Amino acid sequence: MGGIFSFGSYYPGTSLLHRLDPRTKLLGGLAFIVLVLTAHDLAGLVVVLAFVSFAYALARIPVREALASLAPLMVIVVLASVLNLFVIQGGAVLLRIGPLVVSEGGVWSCVFVAARLALMMAGMSLVTLTTQTLDLTEALERLLAPLARVGVPAHEIGMIMGIALRFMPQFASELMSIYRAQVSRGAGAGGALARARMLPALMVPLFTSVFRHAETLACAMDARCYHGGVGRTRLHPLRFTRLDAAALVVLVLFAACLIGVNTLR
Amino acid sequence: MPVNAAGEAVPPAVSCRDVSFSYDGETRALDGVDLTIAAGEFVCLLGGNGSGKSTLARHLNALLVPDTGTVTIEGRDTARPENILPIRACTGMVFQNPDDQLVASLIEGDIAFGPENLGIESAEIAKRVEAALGEVGLQGFGTREVQALSGGQKQRVAIAGILAMQPRILVLDEATSMLDPRGRRGLMRLLRELNEGGMTIIMITHLMEEAAEASRVVLLEQGRIAADGTPEEVLTQTELLAHQHLEPPCPVRLAAALAHVGIEVVPTVDEARAASSIADAVRRHARSQDERQRLMLAVAAAQDKAVPCASARRAEAVIAFEHVFYSYLDRARKRRHARAHAATRGDRAWGSGPDAVWALEDVSFEVYAGEFLGIAGHTGSGKSTLIQLMNGLITPERGCVRVDGISCADRAGAEHARQRVGVVFQYPEHQLFAPTVLDDVAFGPRNLGCTERAAHERARHALELVGIDAARIERMSPFELSGGQQRRVAIAGVIAMEPQVLVLDEPTAGLDPASRRDLLGLLDELNEAGTTIVMVSHGMEDLAAHCTRIAVLREGCVASVGTPDDIFSGACDLAASGLDMPAAQRMARRIAERGVALERRVYLEEQSLARGIAAACAEGVDA
Repeated sequence: MGGIFSFGSYYPGTSLLHRLDPRTKLLGGLAFIVLVLTAHDLAGLVVVLAFVSFAYALARIPVREALASLAPLMVIVVLASVLNLFVIQGGAVLLRIGPLVVSEGGVWSCVFVAARLALMMAGMSLVTLTTQTLDLTEALERLLAPLARVGVPAHEIGMIMGIALRFMPQFASELMSIYRAQVSRGAGAGGALARARMLPALMVPLFTSVFRHAETLACAMDARCYHGGVGRTRLHPLRFTRLDAAALVVLVLFAACLIGVNTLR
Repeated sequence: MPVNAAGEAVPPAVSCRDVSFSYDGETRALDGVDLTIAAGEFVCLLGGNGSGKSTLARHLNALLVPDTGTVTIEGRDTARPENILPIRACTGMVFQNPDDQLVASLIEGDIAFGPENLGIESAEIAKRVEAALGEVGLQGFGTREVQALSGGQKQRVAIAGILAMQPRILVLDEATSMLDPRGRRGLMRLLRELNEGGMTIIMITHLMEEAAEASRVVLLEQGRIAADGTPEEVLTQTELLAHQHLEPPCPVRLAAALAHVGIEVVPTVDEARAASSIADAVRRHARSQDERQRLMLAVAAAQDKAVPCASARRAEAVIAFEHVFYSYLDRARKRRHARAHAATRGDRAWGSGPDAVWALEDVSFEVYAGEFLGIAGHTGSGKSTLIQLMNGLITPERGCVRVDGISCADRAGAEHARQRVGVVFQYPEHQLFAPTVLDDVAFGPRNLGCTERAAHERARHALELVGIDAARIERMSPFELSGGQQRRVAIAGVIAMEPQVLVLDEPTAGLDPASRRDLLGLLDELNEAGTTIVMVSHGMEDLAAHCTRIAVLREGCVASVGTPDDIFSGACDLAASGLDMPAAQRMARRIAERGVALERRVYLEEQSLARGIAAACAEGVDA
């Protein structure tokens, strides 16, 4: 289970990328996805690869760490590329197994899709590798802020995400202690049926605990003068700097290269 | 009304006028409370469960508003909505369970939460966060994850979060109940410092040692104030306290025990003062020949009644740990951990730093059949790991844990261990789940393959053993019961599996003194009936009074194993393990230091110490 959580988990550092405003990284990440989708051929992918490697080098994240954080997502990449292998047809037929036909076009598309997806994920995971989750939620809150006028509760969404992130590991560890206690009462021993019977013995205490926490937490937040987003300041306020302007320039350069390569063909 | 330097009248920090409050409209949680607390006081609110002390605390922060009467904080009425924010800004509140109070994932983010709500400038918030971290002994840990901390460390973060709001009044609602002795002492020291700096402290507690340090004690009983005065005035009223199921502090109990053998001393809460007055009384009594004669007889009479110490039954081992090693960290993290820990090793004032996660290292000891073994250790000393090993929930990296000589490392061994060793984890009532009490208790036997009828029969028997009237409540939902009852039901759930060894992790944590005493009595009964008991605790008085042997864990190693006498005679060792001496033993030392020739042995409770003092008196020796 540890593998899933290691995806994009924060890699501490003080590199240029770490110091970028999380809003820049979030929007830049979105722009990156759109741009990668426009890459249609090998040349385009080479440009993307160059950009991603450059970004990883800037973030000073070791290759091993980068690959490790991507490993769990490779399942998706493999699935998508295998699907392409059989679905896309074109060119000479290379292999025929019963109803399944593998053609030259399929192989090409398989390799291309795998490479493109892998690069896309590498780029996205760089955002979470260099940004703490709290900063991400705040960036989201700030980006949604203009929508508050049309009734989107931007501050509340950010707060909810922050609290969810805080309590996720807490409930995971509480579930673990409940599990241990019920197992030592003989639960779950022997077969799938016993395991199914164990479910309420885990879920009821977990939900009770969630409600108990929620009640006191609300009280504790009140006691600490929480009264919504109005008039709230931040310990680390988000501020665009020259660094963010530089990032924008780099991103525009990347887009220009990519579009250039795409149109030159 | 007092006046300040400029001659203006200063409103009291807290003023409650005839405050009544009811949650359900029927029973009154507060019933006509009149209380004025001046700025700069250090007040302890004492009371049993249901006395209304937590309800009163919540009124001080405008979290609750009285039904009738008024509460004013620094002259502001809590009932007026426009006063709520200013009141909360100047009155900080710390709750019992730190897990419920921390809002952010990172320590600094959580400490900043209050100031952020107050709209304070970022640079100033950063300064306050640093200062608050320093005050609770967590400098440099600001960017750590809250989740990785122990309960005591989380409570420190919660307090830092309040201090960063720079309140003038600090209300603590049983904030020390989840801390170990070292954490508690650290917190008390901090509160004293804050109080000396002018902060008003209002502390809710059941712990007499804490109440004795306050400048004023207010005793609540059924929503009314039953006593209000200095600790000296309130805590010496033994009967009044007993009515609330509270025990007076050790020196007062000792004075009562001494009165029993005919030595009269004025009860006082201060240990040093009590020791001096007892030493004086001993000298007075020792001067008269008749007195010595009489005391000699009194001691002899008391000794006849004294129960002989349980002979060290050297029975066969039920559970055996053989050179057990266990660690939670993989190798890379271990190296990082070792480096980080080396940097914080100097900071002992508050207990262990966030990096001090001790794995078990070369642990060897045995649990004998029929004994009551205590396991003592500070937070993070490896106690919980030890328990999981006994039950086969985890297996050692090296070494072996055997139950009845069978290793728990494989599946069959683990299953065997689970049948023989019942484990009651911390806060076991949090694992209740079934629609009725009977169903919940029968869960274990059913899992063992008992028929429905047999499971219910075992459940009823177990409920009876834990002193619960099965016929009356077996059809009730476990969630309708009181906290103490829920814990008993949860323990019955383990007993129903008829284990030979019952292992309990901090079974009295979070209980009030009355439920605590009852629960410990229950464990004694079970032990007498033949169940081997292993109790993990940092309550040294409890361990001293109930265990036949005690193992002290320190930083993942067994520091010592022996009878309570063995353990408490080498007391410096205990301090290194972050544990306290029992109060009676501490008093014995103080009295001996004042020239009374006490027999050199271990006094675990006041009665035996009183007898020892009377004996010293009868000898007439004045060293």
